Order: sequence, then C-alpha cells, then structure tokens
Amino acid sequence: MSGRHILWNGAPVPFRAGETVASALTRAGVLCFGQAPQGQARALFCGIGQCQNCLVRFDGRLTEACLLPCHDGMALAEREVQQ
Amino acid sequence: MSGARVLVVGAGLAGLAAAVELARAGIAVLVVDQAMRPGGAVHRQPLPGGRSLASPAQARRWRALMSEVEAQRERIEFACETRFGGIDHSGAVLLTGAAPALFRPRALVLAVGAREAVQPRPGWTLPGVTTAGALQTLLKTTGTPPQGRVLLAGSGPLLLALGAELVRTGRPPLAIIEAGQPFSHPAPSLRLPVSYMVEAARHLARLVAARVPILTGAHLRRIAPDAGALMGEVDTRHGPRRFLADHIGLHDGIRPNDAGLTDCAALPVLRLGDCREALGAAAALADGRARGRALAAQLTGTTPPTATSALAREAAAQARLARIYAHDGAAQLTDLPDDTVICRCEARTLADLKALGPAPSTRQLRLDGRFGMGACQGRFCAEWVARIVASDFGDTPRPVLGQPRWPARPISVADLLAAPNLTSGETE
Repeated sequence: MSGRHILWNGAPVPFRAGETVASALTRAGVLCFGQAPQGQARALFCGIGQCQNCLVRFDGRLTEACLLPCHDGMALAEREVQQ
Repeated sequence: MSGARVLVVGAGLAGLAAAVELARAGIAVLVVDQAMRPGGAVHRQPLPGGRSLASPAQARRWRALMSEVEAQRERIEFACETRFGGIDHSGAVLLTGAAPALFRPRALVLAVGAREAVQPRPGWTLPGVTTAGALQTLLKTTGTPPQGRVLLAGSGPLLLALGAELVRTGRPPLAIIEAGQPFSHPAPSLRLPVSYMVEAARHLARLVAARVPILTGAHLRRIAPDAGALMGEVDTRHGPRRFLADHIGLHDGIRPNDAGLTDCAALPVLRLGDCREALGAAAALADGRARGRALAAQLTGTTPPTATSALAREAAAQARLARIYAHDGAAQLTDLPDDTVICRCEARTLADLKALGPAPSTRQLRLDGRFGMGACQGRFCAEWVARIVASDFGDTPRPVLGQPRWPARPISVADLLAAPNLTSGETE
C-alpha cells in the first residue's frame, strides 16, 4: 500500500495515483455513495459524468465521484439529504 | 486562453485527429477533456505504472496518433480535468474544472464520444449495478477487476469485449446475458470487416477457454437485493435462471453523447465521431481527420479536401452488426412492474408515467411527470419514456421529451465564478 488515502465519511480508503474517487471507493468495496433527495441510492452508474448518479460532497459542492481525482487526505462525505 | 484558438472538446480519437489536422494547417488548438489523461473511452489509459489491457492493434493506433500530436505540440495545448459547460448565442464557451474560462474560440469542435443506453429493469438503480462501460473504465485504468462476482447483461459486442477483459484480469464473469442471437447469423457476420472478426474471435476464444456461459436470446428481467449481493433473474430460451452477483454491468447499445450540445451561429461548430453518429473507433478517427482537415481549409481559406470513403465503410459495418444483434428486448418494457424506476435522477416510476394518461404531451411529461427534468436531462430515460408512451419498440422512437439544453451538466455557482471572463465583458 502506498500509504495515500482519501477519507470517506471519516474512514481512510487507499488510492492509486491518478485514480478517481469512484474507482477507489469501488475497489474498497464501497458501492453506495449515499442517498439522493428522493431516497434512491447514490452509486456509480455511467462512469463518464453523464448520469449524475454518483454525486458526492467535496469542498462544499456536489460533484461526480467518477470524474473527481483522488488527492491524499481529501475528505469526502455522502450527500446530505435535503430537507 | 486566447480566442484565436480552436477549442476541441474531447481528447479521444476523433478530437485528437481533428486537433492534429488543424495544427498541421498552422491553427492553434486547445484540447480539453474531463478525464485526467487523454484517451477517451476506447483508449482509456492505465494509471501511471499500471498495465494496459489494450490489444496490440489498439496500442499501435494510439501510439501513432499520440506521436502525431507530439509533433504538433507547439500548436496543441491540453487542459485535462476540464469540462465543457456550453456555448451561448454570442459564441462564448464556458469551461469549468482545472482550467476554467469563459472565452470565444475561433471554432468549436465537439468530440465527446458516445454514451450507453441501458434499458430500465426492476433493480437497475441498486448500488453495484452500473453500465458495462463503467466497469470497463475501471478495468482499463486500474488493471484489476472489482471485488466479487460480475454478471454482464444486455446486448452488443461490448459485453463480449468486457467479458474477455475480465477473464484477462483473472475474474471471468458469471455469465454474459445477450438479448440478441448474434451467433445465429453466420452469413452477415462473414461480411463484417476482417478487423471486427479478428477482435470477436479473440474475445470469444478467451471466454470459451474460461468456460464463461454466453446465454443468447436471454434477458436479465429483474435485479433484487439478496444477502448483501444482487440476484439477477434471467429469462433464457430454456427457462428461468438466477445469478447471484456483486456487480452487474448493463449495456443495451451505444448512443451519441449529444445532450446539451447546442449549435451557435456566431462561429463554426462541428460534431465529430461518436457524438454525431455512434459508429465506433475506426470511424471516429477517420471522421476526426477528414472533418478536421475540412475545418482547417475553411478557417485558412484554402480548398477543402475531397471526402473519404472510410466513414461509409464503417457505417455499413455498424449497420450489419446491428442486424446481427437485432432483438426484441425493448418489448420487455411492456411487462415491467408499475414500481420500476424509469427516471433514475428523480426516482420516477412506470406508475408515475402511466398516471399522466394516454398520449401525454411533452409539457405533461416534463412538468407533471418530471421525466427528463432531473440532473441528467433525460439522457437515461428519454428513449424509454418515448417507447413506452408510443408503444414503439422499433429502432428509433420519436423523441417526446424535447431537447436538453446547455449547460451540458449541472454547474455550481462556485464553478461559474471561478471561470475568468476573457470575452471583454460583453456577455456578463
């Protein structure tokens, strides 16, 4: 293990240089990325930024996990359910 | 980010071929791609230090194109992790991501490739169910398969290619569920280009050697959660079968990735490769070259080159392939349970669609039904809504949801503000 990690809901997940968040989470066995406002699961689906189903919250905004590059120590969280 | 450059969106075969042709004519080009590296879907590159799953022919094609790009690096600049947001009436283009900007290019070349069609089935929104292409992207980049058992279902040659790649990475799929019966058409198959046959034979050899069942004329009817995994219920020609998997890759064909790519009267806008017509890699390369050359001639005021026949040849091959894989899978839509999700973005179901009554208008579908109103703008439901509403399960249903608009994807206010305005403030 390279020792480089992202933080998923506070838990460390290793990644390889040049990997996307969706790829690192999938390899770690994390398939559900949270819950959308209508209650459906957030998860990787199209893998090319088209379906908007893998949104995660990073740096204050929602963004596609399938396009988001991993950086050491980056903290990611499931999307908050809007009230 | 000067406006004197041509903007090429998409660093795959079509985009890079066009960029090379433009650069050779002395035109400066900015190539943007949303991914971290050039390659596109077909030539998606492995992570640094990783092994490539590309075939020798694929690797040769990519190396050749990249060396042409390298020879023109004085005029071709790359901006990866950068996304095209849209173009307005004045010709101002919005880029977000690593190299954000609002600027007016000399011309806009859209080469954003294809997306996959995935037919709705109960359970297709469960985590672990992805497009086959998403699984293939993971394989090509990491060189390793996802953890656990993999099932592939739908229709098309991609399922065989992905199945063979899974075999290579030591994780043969449980089965390939193919709606068509491609092996029952030997005559048209033999008229495919040799390169298609060689590729198919290589994939099939791997799959057969690994004893992967290829069930043709079969449909993955339903996916259900089962003890932390996914139970796929399959209708085969010989009765029902069940497969317990951790990952299910779905693929029901390739469509142009053309949503939200509006035209603009203020400057030349070109669509190249799969985003205009999904004809595959060879066609994308030929299209990028030919139309890149034509655009260069237009911009420099020289004589346009004569058209090539490569595109027509690939179109004929793809049409033949479509006939070989023809199936009645879309008719399965009539048997869907009412609680099947049709719109993934807002979890709108078949019951929600039926509640709009017979022959709903576009306005009813969108405003009352909210179909096509989610973040994907109908990319993954429009085709199925159209088929269900019109009971039309043929080749190309008439669109009923209207056209997606720019921005081509949701853009945060923070991203908008981060884009420096290089248009002299005219469009603020």
